[in-house]
Amino acid sequence: MAWRIGVDSGGTFTDVCLFNDATGEVVIWKVSSTPDDPSRGITQGIDEGLKRVDGAASDVTFVGHGTTVATNALIQRRGVRTGLITTEGFRDLLEIGRQKRPDLYDLQADKPETLVTRDLRIGVNERVLGNGKTEIVLNEDEIRDAVRKLKAEGAEAIAVCFLYSFLDPAHEELTARILAEEFPEGFVAVSSRIAPEFREFERLSTTVVNAYLGPVMQSYVRALKRKIVDLGITVAPQLTQSNGGVIGFDAAADLPVRTVLSGPSTGVVAAQAIGRMTGISNLITFDMGGTSSDVALLSNGRCRVVNEAVVHGYPLKTPMLDIHTVGAGGGSIAYVDSGGLLKVGPRSAGANPGPSCYGLGNDEPTVTDANVLLQTQNPEYLLNGRMKIDQELSRAAVARLAEKLGMGVLETANGILDIVTANMAKAIRVISVQRGHDPRDYALVAFGGAGPVHAARLARELGMSRVLIPRTPGVLCALGLLMTDLRTDFSATQMTRLDEASPEAIGAIFDNLAEQASQWFTQENILPEERRMERNVDLRYAGQNYEISVPVPPGPVTQASFDAIRQGFLDAHRQLYGFVADGEPIQMVTFRLSASGLVDKAEFRPLPDAGPDASAAITGHRDVWMVEAKGFVKAALYTRDALRPGNVVAGPAIIDQMDTTTVVPPGMAATVDNYLNLILEAR
Amino acid sequence: MSDTLQNPVPDVADARLNPITVEVIGSAFASIVEEMGEALVRASYSTNIKERRDCSTALFDADGLMLCQAEHIPMHLGSFIDFVPYVLRHFGLENIAPGDIFMGNDAYEGGGTHLPDIVIAEPIFAKGRLIAWAINTAHHSDFADRGHAHIYQEGLRIPPVRLFRAGVLQEDVQRLFLLNCQVPAERISDLRAQIAANRLGVARMSELCAKYGVPTVLAAGKELMDYAERKMRAGIAAIPDGTYRFADIFDSESLDKPLEMSVSITVSGDEIHLDFVSPPQVRAGLNVVYTALLATVYYAVKTVVDPTILPNAGLARPIHVTAEEGTILRCSHPAAVDGRITACQRAVDLIHGAFAQVVPERVTAASNGSVAVASFNGRRPDKSLWVYLETIGGGSGARHSKDGLDGVHVHMTNTSNLPVEALEGEYPITLLRYELVDGSGGAGTWVGGLGLRRVYRAEAECRVQVMGSRLTSRPWGLAGGEAGAPGYFTVNGRENVFDTGSVDLNPGDVLEIVTPGAGGYGLPSRRGAEDVARDLREGRLSAPAVAA
Repeated sequence: MAWRIGVDSGGTFTDVCLFNDATGEVVIWKVSSTPDDPSRGITQGIDEGLKRVDGAASDVTFVGHGTTVATNALIQRRGVRTGLITTEGFRDLLEIGRQKRPDLYDLQADKPETLVTRDLRIGVNERVLGNGKTEIVLNEDEIRDAVRKLKAEGAEAIAVCFLYSFLDPAHEELTARILAEEFPEGFVAVSSRIAPEFREFERLSTTVVNAYLGPVMQSYVRALKRKIVDLGITVAPQLTQSNGGVIGFDAAADLPVRTVLSGPSTGVVAAQAIGRMTGISNLITFDMGGTSSDVALLSNGRCRVVNEAVVHGYPLKTPMLDIHTVGAGGGSIAYVDSGGLLKVGPRSAGANPGPSCYGLGNDEPTVTDANVLLQTQNPEYLLNGRMKIDQELSRAAVARLAEKLGMGVLETANGILDIVTANMAKAIRVISVQRGHDPRDYALVAFGGAGPVHAARLARELGMSRVLIPRTPGVLCALGLLMTDLRTDFSATQMTRLDEASPEAIGAIFDNLAEQASQWFTQENILPEERRMERNVDLRYAGQNYEISVPVPPGPVTQASFDAIRQGFLDAHRQLYGFVADGEPIQMVTFRLSASGLVDKAEFRPLPDAGPDASAAITGHRDVWMVEAKGFVKAALYTRDALRPGNVVAGPAIIDQMDTTTVVPPGMAATVDNYLNLILEAR
Repeated sequence: MSDTLQNPVPDVADARLNPITVEVIGSAFASIVEEMGEALVRASYSTNIKERRDCSTALFDADGLMLCQAEHIPMHLGSFIDFVPYVLRHFGLENIAPGDIFMGNDAYEGGGTHLPDIVIAEPIFAKGRLIAWAINTAHHSDFADRGHAHIYQEGLRIPPVRLFRAGVLQEDVQRLFLLNCQVPAERISDLRAQIAANRLGVARMSELCAKYGVPTVLAAGKELMDYAERKMRAGIAAIPDGTYRFADIFDSESLDKPLEMSVSITVSGDEIHLDFVSPPQVRAGLNVVYTALLATVYYAVKTVVDPTILPNAGLARPIHVTAEEGTILRCSHPAAVDGRITACQRAVDLIHGAFAQVVPERVTAASNGSVAVASFNGRRPDKSLWVYLETIGGGSGARHSKDGLDGVHVHMTNTSNLPVEALEGEYPITLLRYELVDGSGGAGTWVGGLGLRRVYRAEAECRVQVMGSRLTSRPWGLAGGEAGAPGYFTVNGRENVFDTGSVDLNPGDVLEIVTPGAGGYGLPSRRGAEDVARDLREGRLSAPAVAA
């Protein structure tokens, strides 16, 4: 019997998802996280999960892991003492950034902390010019002195970033060689290896973040690997990156900067797999937790990959799924500001003290309190009865707010949901409307503990007609780990006008990237038939500074490839900006190759249809305030576990399961598909 | 899509126009102007817009009142305030049609603040009625190496005119404009990006109106202004009544001698009155038109009263601004205005200095008080002209319980720098250094922010004009904090080679621009031992300060 295991380790819970390859059985196991050393909770979860299914460690054929170790170390500034070697005259660039202040009007706002203090930033004499010529040749002794000084100051990691290293990496390579001699015990990050692209500050920031997180990630990964081996698991574990693909533990430890969105990217991958399963390829994912919501858009089953984003205040040039986060979750606090308007979030009551109804001392109303008061969520218990709550505390908290607004208590509770819905809709507009996609053409996939509660209302706000609730919305990220491929990305910047480019020269650039990919395939033991490569080029009109990424057709680069690239660029430019500039030259800037190693994925099997009658799953009725009815209506309560494929649940209805609640409003119906997903549509 | 999921769209304002609907529509306005701004930056061609983001976007209502401005450049509000009202007065509502696109820049006819900021505005129609305007301005780095004795020397003056009439490009107008520009190819591409940004604003507002109904959207717009007004009044009311005065020195490379300016701020209940006294307008590009002064006051008051107040017309209602006409801070035709932002920065210092007497915890010591500008121009090998303009940040003032920020743009501007790897590919300039200036922050319990040093080497013949302030005066400290260091400019190490800021550079010449630091806050003797140790370890003090 073969088991595949996905482990998603979050701040509160570690979710383990076990999938039996032979029977298609899916088992979920949740344990408390151990934030001081996450590997403890993870191994405990795997161990207990396997015992629960009577599985042996030797039966495990795959371990995939999503982690917040890198993100948390960045947010909490728990990286290592890091040094920087850079071009003389530019050591302060890390601090200056783009010279913008952090907030336009708030004089008290601060910039994110600089990760390398000024005394550990050393400029060395060297200079490559914009035309690629070397004006000042780097002196080896100067590097050695710099390294020794940083070592003496206690640096555990050293970042190296010189101007124009994306054009000519020789000085960085020389420095790397000297570091290998002088600093073998330390962690080294070199900009031309991590992000060989133009714009020096963003490349520098990426390199520094990588160095800062490197040792933290390395020791985490080593400890976890050892514990997994100790359990008796023989297969090499994999880790998810921000691009949605997995990569071997060792490679991940070298490039921690590529894992900062490890957690949320897995949810997107899971949604993608569910889309494939159900035949819905245009999806917007909506992952709502206690303090924030993550949203992403999948067009034709694919999520856009961005090559640069600002994460926790630091610009990172690394491939990331285009995931947008907004501070709106179940614990978000509602308040009235000094001008008399109702606001919700981003301040959150978190898990402790949590919403007022928990009775742990918070008396400000949260989104969850509004749901408890309106009875869209169970007014007495959470987690299938494992946790008691007090609706009267929710009522008191909302009533205090209602008094300030001069509105009714229920009207205010409904208003809290209106506003949190508007905040989430705004986030979805960023990834849809602002990128030229109409959300009405997409289905909403809702997950996370709070997603299915708000999904129908959010869909309505955006004019979306279909909502998909996966079978295990609370642990979707762990499930996604069983459905992803190995993937990594390579890039090279070389500015070339499209109408002047030669197919041979461009072909050579891609050949070079393919050669790097091939080394990676070998290193990860990916068989030739499992190897996939996709090529893209980032283009702009010569004169613009923002590029649009366009796919390059497979096969040798020819004039016909250029025609396809040109057309792809023009279409995308029109979609994004509403115009094209006829006859203006187009410039290629960055060439990209993404390499995937196909992995056998968990295959879910369809279950037979059991007919529309869902009455066997009804457990009772309760009055639920529905916005469509502008008041309380009697809604049937269903238990999710008892719903069978083909069952239809007509709204108004509430479907409960251990990790979440799905609201089916009047006028909509939820149909259970053959994979036990719920599909909500208008009746 | 099914009808049951659609909100009914009423033809009259929703009776339920409650605080919630207002909040929802307000956040839609904010996301529209933000999206317009992103489109403008990404589709533009000139370095000043595409990388330095020297542009702003906004929505106005049919009465010419601002609904929402994106968080870009506070100065640009000055270019918006009177543009739509001018168009309405001059052309008449009945003569404005869908697809008309208005263009203008003049400081005396149409509400601009200086000629390079070109405003593009497009009316938004719903059901045949003009309901709002999409508007943006972008700083076109052109009109380089001009004189500044009066506005006629500073570039082409354009009152609001139609660049498009009912969707049709007015080629005559465009040709006239382009012929007056030094880099016409960039101008036309940037204009196209500005037009595209407004088109997005028009489309998004139309969608919003289709969803909520025009009356509801317009009523929400009015309510949002009332809301901003309420917040502004609540904030002003929390400041003790009284009159607070402050005077400061204004210096510039374009002035023979420093001038004195002052403000007198009277807080009375929930209203505030600011009266500025400044010398008669000067024959230099340092004069400020009234709308630019208003934008400055709205910015500065907001930072002190409540930085979260929505950027719309309502916030201005409790604020009254006076200054004598014909003075630097309220100039009249034909005063030159190109470098007005330098004087506006000083006006912010005045306002903060006055507020320091009553709410010292809310203001900072003086920031660098300048917008150091370097405007290069030359000729390419193919004989075409090139113009490159950049502005350089400096120290931001120390705060009541924190150090100031180092090397940032302060107050009326917030443009980005241009990456070295983008700059050197576009212009015959090599950047030799870009760093913080050791010791330029005023000492104090909390140290003022450090200025910046930017050192360029010319690779071809070109001319550069450098402008700035706080060259002879220094950014003041507060509560015993010391003043920050002044700025200076050199060519090949010499300061006295500039002719009112301008100088010709030969290949190999090295231009150095050092921007001012900022003032410190509190007595230096009270600075914590750990902070002092860090200053020393990180070399943030100048050599004499270390010795002391």
